[in-house]
Amino acid sequence: MTASHEIENRLRATAEKLLREKKVDLFLGYEKASLPFRTTPLLLTAAEEAGRLVWNSFCTVNLAVYLPRLFKAPADAREAKSATPPPKVGIVLKGCDARSVVALIQERQVPRENLVLVGIGCPGVVDAQKAEKTLGEHEALGAGEDAQGSIRAVVEDGTEITLYRQEVLADACLECRSPMPAICDLVLGGPVEAKETDAARRRAAEFESKPPDARWARFQEMISKCIRCNACRQACPMCYCKECLLDQTRPRLIGAGTDISDVTIYHLVRALHTAGRCTECGACVRACPMGIDTRLLTRKLSLEAEDLYGYRAGQSADAIPLLSAFAMDDPQDFLTEPSHLPAASSSAQEAEQARRAK
Amino acid sequence: MQFEGIMNQTQSVQQAASKQAWEPKIVAFLCNWCSYAGADLAGVSRIQYPCNVRVIRVPCSGRINPAFLLRALQNGADAVLVSGCHPGDCHYISGNLVARRKFALLKALLQYVGIEPERVQFTWVSASEGGRFAAIIEKVVEQVRKLGPNGRLAKRL
Amino acid sequence: MTEKRISHTDLPRLLARLRERGAVHAPLEDETGDAVLTELSSDDLISLRYRNFRLSPKSFLLPQNQVLFRFQDGKEEEPALPDREMVVFGVRPCDAKAMQALDKVFLDGDQNDPYYARAREKTVVIALACTRPLSSCFCTSVGGGPGDGAGADVLALELDADLLLRALTPGGERLLSSVRDLLCDAAPSAVKEAEDRVRAAEEQIAPVKVDGSAQRLSNAYDSPLWASVSQKCLGCGTCSFLCPTCHCFDITDEVRGGTGRRVRTWDCCAYPLFTLHGSGHNPRPTPKERWRQRIMHKFRYAIENFGRPFCVGCGRCIRSCPVGMDIRTVLKEIGV
Repeated sequence: MTASHEIENRLRATAEKLLREKKVDLFLGYEKASLPFRTTPLLLTAAEEAGRLVWNSFCTVNLAVYLPRLFKAPADAREAKSATPPPKVGIVLKGCDARSVVALIQERQVPRENLVLVGIGCPGVVDAQKAEKTLGEHEALGAGEDAQGSIRAVVEDGTEITLYRQEVLADACLECRSPMPAICDLVLGGPVEAKETDAARRRAAEFESKPPDARWARFQEMISKCIRCNACRQACPMCYCKECLLDQTRPRLIGAGTDISDVTIYHLVRALHTAGRCTECGACVRACPMGIDTRLLTRKLSLEAEDLYGYRAGQSADAIPLLSAFAMDDPQDFLTEPSHLPAASSSAQEAEQARRAK
Repeated sequence: MQFEGIMNQTQSVQQAASKQAWEPKIVAFLCNWCSYAGADLAGVSRIQYPCNVRVIRVPCSGRINPAFLLRALQNGADAVLVSGCHPGDCHYISGNLVARRKFALLKALLQYVGIEPERVQFTWVSASEGGRFAAIIEKVVEQVRKLGPNGRLAKRL
Repeated sequence: MTEKRISHTDLPRLLARLRERGAVHAPLEDETGDAVLTELSSDDLISLRYRNFRLSPKSFLLPQNQVLFRFQDGKEEEPALPDREMVVFGVRPCDAKAMQALDKVFLDGDQNDPYYARAREKTVVIALACTRPLSSCFCTSVGGGPGDGAGADVLALELDADLLLRALTPGGERLLSSVRDLLCDAAPSAVKEAEDRVRAAEEQIAPVKVDGSAQRLSNAYDSPLWASVSQKCLGCGTCSFLCPTCHCFDITDEVRGGTGRRVRTWDCCAYPLFTLHGSGHNPRPTPKERWRQRIMHKFRYAIENFGRPFCVGCGRCIRSCPVGMDIRTVLKEIGV
């Protein structure tokens, strides 16, 4: 596997070239942040500043979250008159991020032809909170990665501490099945193979093996910490609605406060609205200031989408999104009473296919 | 003055109601073209079925956002039932087929977090199935009666 | 005012005695090992190993979710205001100072907020001075310090075996005298040692240039830099919700039939919908306008209106921002 500093050099050269040759107006990447174990997104426009870009195990943010706002359609005819043409955007993508971009393309939120997708095979990124916790009483003042991928932290008294990678990788990365970007224009690193391909399934099964009362208790305990800041939603690339259903006031669906019933429904609805669209990037978990594992719910729905419909979010830009598609023989054993009528006519299916072919 | 009088009356009715044994409250979302018509047929044919159901008419089962079902439960429904046209017979061609996927995922998620599966139910009822509609309501009401009042998602104001 | 002393081993007895008068909230470790201000019941072991809490203690005065009144069938009912005293032990000086800032908003003038006022009146704050600041702390640059007692009733200073307690207000004096049998006088050498530790902590805190921010920000209102410093912001609300001085709120009615309640909840100026008008117009449509407002509010309008910045340098926004935005960097880039 290519060392991260070599990938970094390639990335800087690529970005510099793309900007200089005006193949892109804007390049989305990462740069050094003010605190260790983190990087911060960089929206680069000047080719000569490409040296600011970094690539390492702290490149956690899913940059796809910035794409919908770059391609917002004009709100009305008046805005359309003075609107600038949509930009050409280059973007650095890990496996999960690339699938988010594909999902956005599927949903017509971003035009594929305006994007230059620079993919990097990702061996996993560090969860800053986990890393800080393993240091116990110490505070890291700086952190880096060596050629073998070990994380080294320098703490306040100058000592260097090596962190065991498996202990500080983000939970989403420990369950990752798609480290290589699905669709890109260039690939700068890799190949990286997924390690524990059934880790997600095991975790879901582990939760499911508890009796229902215990599951409910654990779920309620977990979300009781929620302060309704909406960080999980804002950090998610798939939550791009101008006005979230749960923020609307006419009618108001749930209260705005921390009543446990409102918190429960917020999380259930958010999980359902991202079903079949969530790429398990973990941005929601990372954004949550209270340490809630929102992936408890999304993990289950991603597995259901796969088991029931053979669908994984963001695999193919031409695929019809999960909940816009259907098959006549979709499973329906969850019904209270499956019908006793003969199998439905195929005319409905043919009509639908003809409509889509137009 | 008049307002107060009406409010007092409402209060006494509610007090009387609360003294009676608990009866399940089921909110049923019925699609206009098939299931609502089926329920109507049951009524017109004088087929008796439990009066625990409050019906909400929607144009198509595909119009239903899972948030509506959760809100009904939050507002005190003990269970929700969604009924649409049989697959292949949707008035809007494929609304119920898309809805079928949404409902499957909703049911799986609710079960996963420990909510009783009988609280959220789905079925297909056609406009000619008045008797079947009544039978389904009977079945659902009995299942929910055994479960007891909805405690998990209800919101106490 | 002489400082009092109590050993760490005797501290639980002091807290148990305070529990006889009302609720006591102190730092307890939750299941993930984080310190959280929790109401003490019988034998909880408190832990003083934390730097600071995730959530700021502003929730004691301005809860995330506060019922203003309830109504049912035409009758209104206000929830009983707290009448129990509440002692909050272990608040860091930055958070205590933030309470002073909130007082300026909710208590001064003719706009007394009765819910806030009652909570403030009933709350006794025992602050715990810092000896190990984080690299994200900058209290010294915004008028505070690791040993600053402003906003607290009692300031506690840590030594290896003991805790020194210094009353700062009449309320603090009353509290310490109610447990005087558990305390001894602190020796001047102990006081000096404790103050030396605080001074050492002060020196570790890197300064941030904030002086003159009001004037510089006033000049920078139309700067094109606002767009670039803010473009990473997701509008997630984490910074405001964790900030000890942020206080914007929303009021909504939750109604079902004839029953309901009016609730006050936290809001955040970084939310895209924060200034959305009923007409559909939004005067702050992009992160640029919203970030400008955030910085202006904290470092210019607050100074112009209240004489102090609305930032206490606790660093929570810096540590918790999911995209690594740093308010210190923003201030520097915008020319403060």
